[in-house]
Amino acid sequence: MKVAVVSPRLHEPGTVGGAETLLHSLALDAAALGHEVELLCTCAKDHRTWANELPPGAFERDGLAVRRFPVDPRDTDVWARAQIALQNGEEVSDAEAVAWLENSVNSRALVERLRDGGYDRVLAGPYLFGLTWNVARAVPEKTLLVPCFHDEPYSHVGPLLDAFRRVRGFLFNTDPERDLAHRLMPGLAPRVEAVVAMGLEPFEVSKTAFAERTGLCAPYVVYSGRREEGKGTPVLVDFVDAFRRRTGRDLHLVMTGSGDVQVPASLAPAFHDLGFVSEREKREAMAGAVAFVHPSLNESLSIVLLESWLARTPALVHAKSPVLRSQCERANGGLWFRSYPEFEEETLFLLENPAAAAALAERGRAWTVETYAPAAVRARLSAALSA
Amino acid sequence: MNGQPPIISIGADGVDAKAVVDEILARVAEKRAQGEYDDETVARAERNNLFSMKDDEEFLDRYLACLRQVVPVDINDFPIAERRSLFAPLSKAVKKVLWKLLKFYTYRLWSQQNQTNGVLLAAVETMHRRHKEEVAALKARIAALEAK
Repeated sequence: MKVAVVSPRLHEPGTVGGAETLLHSLALDAAALGHEVELLCTCAKDHRTWANELPPGAFERDGLAVRRFPVDPRDTDVWARAQIALQNGEEVSDAEAVAWLENSVNSRALVERLRDGGYDRVLAGPYLFGLTWNVARAVPEKTLLVPCFHDEPYSHVGPLLDAFRRVRGFLFNTDPERDLAHRLMPGLAPRVEAVVAMGLEPFEVSKTAFAERTGLCAPYVVYSGRREEGKGTPVLVDFVDAFRRRTGRDLHLVMTGSGDVQVPASLAPAFHDLGFVSEREKREAMAGAVAFVHPSLNESLSIVLLESWLARTPALVHAKSPVLRSQCERANGGLWFRSYPEFEEETLFLLENPAAAAALAERGRAWTVETYAPAAVRARLSAALSA
Repeated sequence: MNGQPPIISIGADGVDAKAVVDEILARVAEKRAQGEYDDETVARAERNNLFSMKDDEEFLDRYLACLRQVVPVDINDFPIAERRSLFAPLSKAVKKVLWKLLKFYTYRLWSQQNQTNGVLLAAVETMHRRHKEEVAALKARIAALEAK
């Protein structure tokens, strides 16, 4: 079977989001299943400008055939007007929504390649880009959408959902994401509907390596990923600062990843911004933590949460994220909070009950190994591709 | 709550995340009723988190509780210090004079603002309480009618 995987940007470790990482991983899995796979992406590196910074053309990366195509010219004023209206929860007409999608990231050359490339299946995502919308419209009978749906204003855009209703199928990351898709598109009955997600190889990592390398001996909680309002990082900063003030405990906050963080002066001595770090350093930071805290509400799959379990660290997640909470409940690997008092009590519980914290972490690890083992993910992907 | 041992103690073998969370929720509810979270630190910690609770039934209660903690603008005197040792006495003296001038200018303004904030908060709380009472009465009436 000839499979195209469409990703707006090429996966570069540490520089792109979870969706690109997921699509890259699915492409590798499809290749491992013996399919002929091509990864199609744009020449853009920056998801804010979508400027053509990289040369177009075909090359090989990680054993995969990659084809890069230029981003079409776009009217950013038109796009920004609709984007702001959507962000603010304002009503947007279908015409405005189409203009928003047409002036998002698109590539006619890439879509033409899909029509002429002789592909049997096309995997494309995430849902909110014009490119994904155009792929779904161009080859709906071949498209398996990897939507990475979040319950946010963009996922309610009518023309986007109209196109998605006609695709061959969906590869979801979690059951709550699949439930959301059915809420967004009542009566949805695609030919293929599978929860596939992403394969993760189990790893072993030292619990003391981070403290030995950095000299940080105080207990700490860790967050890895983009630091921005949408990911809930300001909430985490506020909560840890309040925890230190109220309990008098010397709890530190360690963050890896990109984005600015505003830290109050009172937390500054206990805040450690590592920025981009290697996978090994990230895992070591996770392994030594009291908990991996994920304060985001909008997640379709949290790879870092799974990695923290593989590092044998329990999780503390925001209860208002259906996906994160569901993962914690199913794995029995973490606790969930809605407000500061719950965060305070749960952090104290993990600090004062190391045996229970370790048991939660072990349960999380066992569930991750079982559910996200590369072989299990490939079996689910194989079934979805051949259906 | 400083230094209090946790009431929850679950053996590693029997750990059940949902049971732990449920027990913690019960404990939080008890402490909330005792007013243990009625402080400015908690109110400020919730400032970015309140948005996530906007669809919850208890959102307005929590929001008003936080507002109550942070609504008064602090216009009191505060100790003026100077960490740098060089010219510290001079620097402190200048700061004190500056504060006196500012206080003369801002005290009347902020005390009036505090009055306004207090009145507005009381009005919103009253409206919220009456609204809740009305909804509860209507619900009871509907239940009584449906029971007939």
